Amino acid sequence: MTSAIAAVRSALPFAALIGVWWGIKDVTGVPDTMLAAPPAVWNAFVVLLTHGILAEYAAASLRMIGLSALISFLIGVPLGFAVGTNRYAARALEGTLRFVQGISGIAWLPLAILWFGFTGATTLTIVIYTLIVPIIFNTMTGVRAIPENYTLALRSLGAGRLRIMWDVYLPGALPSIVVGMRLGMGYGWRALIASEMLVRQGGLGDLIFGARTFGQIDRIMVGMIVIGTLYIVVDRLLVAPIEALTLQRWGVLRR
Amino acid sequence: MADKITVSGFRHFFQTERGAVQATGTIDMTMRAGEFVTLVGPSGCGKTTLLKAIAGFIRPSEGKILCDGRTITSPGRERGVVFQELAILPWRTVRRNIAHGLEIARVPKAQRDATVDRLIDLIGLNGFEDRYPHELSGGMRQRVAVARTWAAEPEVILMDEPFAAVDAMTRLTLQEELARLCATTHKTVFFITHSVDEAVFLADRVLVMTKRPGTIKAELAVPRPQAGGRDWDSFTADPLMQKIVGEVMHLVHAERVT
Repeated sequence: MTSAIAAVRSALPFAALIGVWWGIKDVTGVPDTMLAAPPAVWNAFVVLLTHGILAEYAAASLRMIGLSALISFLIGVPLGFAVGTNRYAARALEGTLRFVQGISGIAWLPLAILWFGFTGATTLTIVIYTLIVPIIFNTMTGVRAIPENYTLALRSLGAGRLRIMWDVYLPGALPSIVVGMRLGMGYGWRALIASEMLVRQGGLGDLIFGARTFGQIDRIMVGMIVIGTLYIVVDRLLVAPIEALTLQRWGVLRR
Repeated sequence: MADKITVSGFRHFFQTERGAVQATGTIDMTMRAGEFVTLVGPSGCGKTTLLKAIAGFIRPSEGKILCDGRTITSPGRERGVVFQELAILPWRTVRRNIAHGLEIARVPKAQRDATVDRLIDLIGLNGFEDRYPHELSGGMRQRVAVARTWAAEPEVILMDEPFAAVDAMTRLTLQEELARLCATTHKTVFFITHSVDEAVFLADRVLVMTKRPGTIKAELAVPRPQAGGRDWDSFTADPLMQKIVGEVMHLVHAERVT
């Protein structure tokens, strides 16, 4: 009962959004070549869905973000540890990392296209680049926030480097790592769509940019809605629960 | 008894951006096996620096520190350390914190559990085995930190103001518990404190440091009144103990940082 109320409550703003959209369309009389009405978009959605087109393009985007997240995690976390545990490296890299963060992934597209052509490799590079910086940054910050006493105490209990990494740094930095992953997924998803629009090798970005060529306003809008929806699904159903779990398990336990 | 720890000609400097800062004066001291040595001195005199050097966390700028005649170059499990705070891991339960040293030493689980159970009994934390540190009071957390060090069975235990962050009432209990623990386990203990009462209450021998850069200006032997540890009631009623407290107080007073 209460969960039904909660569902209605969180769906209400979306209903309002659709209402505003429909209202604008009706009142201003914008032509269908500029803005499609909700029923038209719904019909386009059904067509794209039943023909399996939507699934194919969405799957390409999800595969790409998933692969990028995995690679970014596997490279970014150890790198963050390496930088975070070395005071000099941390100081040297902090400025550079911020500078690099200022150059958005999309700004790398011209170079990446020159290097890798209009291929998935270009998109993969851009998305990993976008995802990995917040992961490195947050891992580094997380490691550096761990009280020195934790490691000193363990060393005098006879722990070696690997043991300290496993027993102190990893659990200690985990909440930060998860926050970094969540931020990275948000930035990465946007960079992914942008890259797909230019590279045109599948994915939702490709879908909406392709639809533009044929003036298929309804398809563009379906793609946009799916982009937003998938992000919410990935964030709320996958990343947020992991974050809540680690924060509950570790974050609160911190004094 | 043989010397367990020998500090000879120790002096330490810290490198900062504005050059070297002298952390301690020249320090010579020894600790015999099984002896409880306390060190009192004003803030910033270098007490913690000395302890960190004995622990092996820092290399002495000058001089040598030996444990059983061998130069200390790194931390080792024969020298356990108890910090003032922030030492037990918040993501481990009481049981897993206490067992940590044994886990590292690859002691089998059954044996680990037996040791932890015995220590939990000793520090009176029965029923809290599966709690996390944030569910405990400050005093309980320090008990866990002490138990973790004891569980690993080091020969020397270095304690850096372990009860300073605990409320005054709890502190009295913890001090009595520590005295009892030491009387039964015969560890060599090096204990840093700001409190003169605490220093005399726990010690076989009290060392007094000068203000920064600190050297050891005096040492006083404290005869142990009875074999089975000590308690605050008999300590405060003992004129000899109060006389020693007075002497130490006088020595420390002269080193006030104004």
